[in-house]
Amino acid sequence: TRLLTLLSSDSIEKKVARDVAERSILIKNMLEDCAEFDQAIPIPNVTSSVLTKVIEWCEHHKNDPAPAADEEVDSRKKSTDIDEWDQKFMQVDQEMLFEIILAANYLDIKPLLDVGCKTVANMIKGKSPEEIRKTFNIQNDFTPEEEDQIRRENEWAEE
Amino acid sequence: LAEILNLCNSQQLSFVLNYVSPRLKKDPFKSLPNELCLRVLSFIDDPKTLARASQVSKHWHGLLSDDLTWKKLCEKHSYRRLSGAGVLPGSSYHSDVSGLPHSPQEAGFGGSSNKKGFQSEITPQNTVTPRRRQYLSYKSHFKQRYMVETAWRTGGQAIAKHITPDQGVVTSLHLTPKYIVIALDNASIHVFNADGIILRTLQGHMMGVWAMVPWGDTLVSGGCDRDVRVWDMSTGENTKVLRGHTSTVRCLKMSDDKTAISGSRDTTLRIWDIEKGICLNVLVGHTASVRCLEIHGDLVVSGSYDTTAKVWSISQGTCLRTLSGHFSQIYAIAFDGKRIATGSLDTFVRIWDPETGVCQGILQGHTSLVGQLQMRGNTLVTGGSDGSVRVWSLEKMQCIHRLAAHDNSVTSLQFDDARIVSGGSDGRVKVWDLRTGMLVRELSTPAEAVWRVAFEDEKAVILASRAGRTIMEVFSFSPPLDTS
Repeated sequence: TRLLTLLSSDSIEKKVARDVAERSILIKNMLEDCAEFDQAIPIPNVTSSVLTKVIEWCEHHKNDPAPAADEEVDSRKKSTDIDEWDQKFMQVDQEMLFEIILAANYLDIKPLLDVGCKTVANMIKGKSPEEIRKTFNIQNDFTPEEEDQIRRENEWAEE
Repeated sequence: LAEILNLCNSQQLSFVLNYVSPRLKKDPFKSLPNELCLRVLSFIDDPKTLARASQVSKHWHGLLSDDLTWKKLCEKHSYRRLSGAGVLPGSSYHSDVSGLPHSPQEAGFGGSSNKKGFQSEITPQNTVTPRRRQYLSYKSHFKQRYMVETAWRTGGQAIAKHITPDQGVVTSLHLTPKYIVIALDNASIHVFNADGIILRTLQGHMMGVWAMVPWGDTLVSGGCDRDVRVWDMSTGENTKVLRGHTSTVRCLKMSDDKTAISGSRDTTLRIWDIEKGICLNVLVGHTASVRCLEIHGDLVVSGSYDTTAKVWSISQGTCLRTLSGHFSQIYAIAFDGKRIATGSLDTFVRIWDPETGVCQGILQGHTSLVGQLQMRGNTLVTGGSDGSVRVWSLEKMQCIHRLAAHDNSVTSLQFDDARIVSGGSDGRVKVWDLRTGMLVRELSTPAEAVWRVAFEDEKAVILASRAGRTIMEVFSFSPPLDTS
């Protein structure tokens, strides 16, 4: 297949096979819309380091079957399972993780977006409010009174 | 930088780590646009985590109030959707309950006994009755449903418990939005309000009542004395006595507010205009007792001890088809317009096409009489004298779950989207998860025998024999009122 050139926001060019790049629905649609694609395709919202990661993911997943049209059907099951390769892939610092999610959203790569969101969801699951704050370095901005009231509001979910 | 770090001792490195690591952490919900935050939340399907997450910070609390998240959670848990009006469909069930007259003497049955001979160990309070609120958000809806589900699994409370003056067998139990009605083989029919407060006893039948059907305030009943009686449950008045059957009335259903259809041991079905009090048609064709019947649209299907089921047109009063195949008496029938299911003493369940009369499937597995049968969509649940309850897929015509439910006969069963409740002659009431087929719990304490069980979203009613007396127990799974 032909090689395309992608141009990151920090003006770094990346060569990538067309079928790999077409994991991105955004790029796929762009290519369908215009016959010639000799020039570099600008990806203005994504830095080169993030783009490298995204391309790495697309390379690995280039042969994945297309997602079923009614992807919401199995939403009950798909909650947190992430395959091993993806789990390793997502072992990056939080900044990079969120950047990958943003890039996947912009480039319209739904499976990658879901893996990213699941990864964040897994970082939240089963944790106490304080543990969540520690995980993401979040300031508790409730007053003790507010905190107490919200805790009582949510008591029903604690069995 | 690497060289500097190489020069550091472990104390310095740990300082660096403590200095650096918070800087590598970021609040995802401030880094990502709201739509993506909600997408993250959509992957969390346990309410505990969501509730805890809402306590992290004001920003998180705000995001977690987003109703779309809770709507998705409702969908994931297969909770009923909110209707446009913001009221649960199920809650209309109780909506007019508060309109019931609660005269002081009706409510005053607490303590010992009363003129009707009821002893009440627990008497419901009037204040429990209008317990419905408007559910305006999916979050509160979810919370409500979640608490109800939790109560079904591990909680619930008995809101009424009556020892009836009867020693009889309970032949029929119906829950309606306004009433709980029970019929006995000693000719009595007792009417309670939806919370289990005894309202009145309908007296008129001379012998055991074997069949009844409620419709709004109307009740139609029949039994050994061959009469079909029409009652107004709001007043207790016996408005009509319909005569014609020459033997025990065994089954009864209504097709609209003025048409009742009865099946009898005299081998006929009769179609009655209960307003005028006249018999519109006699359906003749069976050669033995008519044991069960079911109505859908203009069709009535009847199951008989003559081993056949028949499909009849109500308006024409004619037999359209005869379903032959069972080797023995038919005891139970279900019909939803698309399929007919019959349960027989020959241990088989047969599925029939009502349009052609063709038998589409024979479900084998029970080892004894199949006397209990309920069909919802593509799911059929059957119970037998072998004590087992079976869940069947009608798409695959296969058994999905086989529940070793009771030591003796299954006397009563009902299921909805979430659960099966079964009662047995072993005196136990069991709640099962419909999807997994796992036992969720036993309800109440073991009795001598369970005659009937019935349930709706937040309530279950058990009629059982304890110490030789017939006891009614009403369990509520409603969350307490004071929660917001």
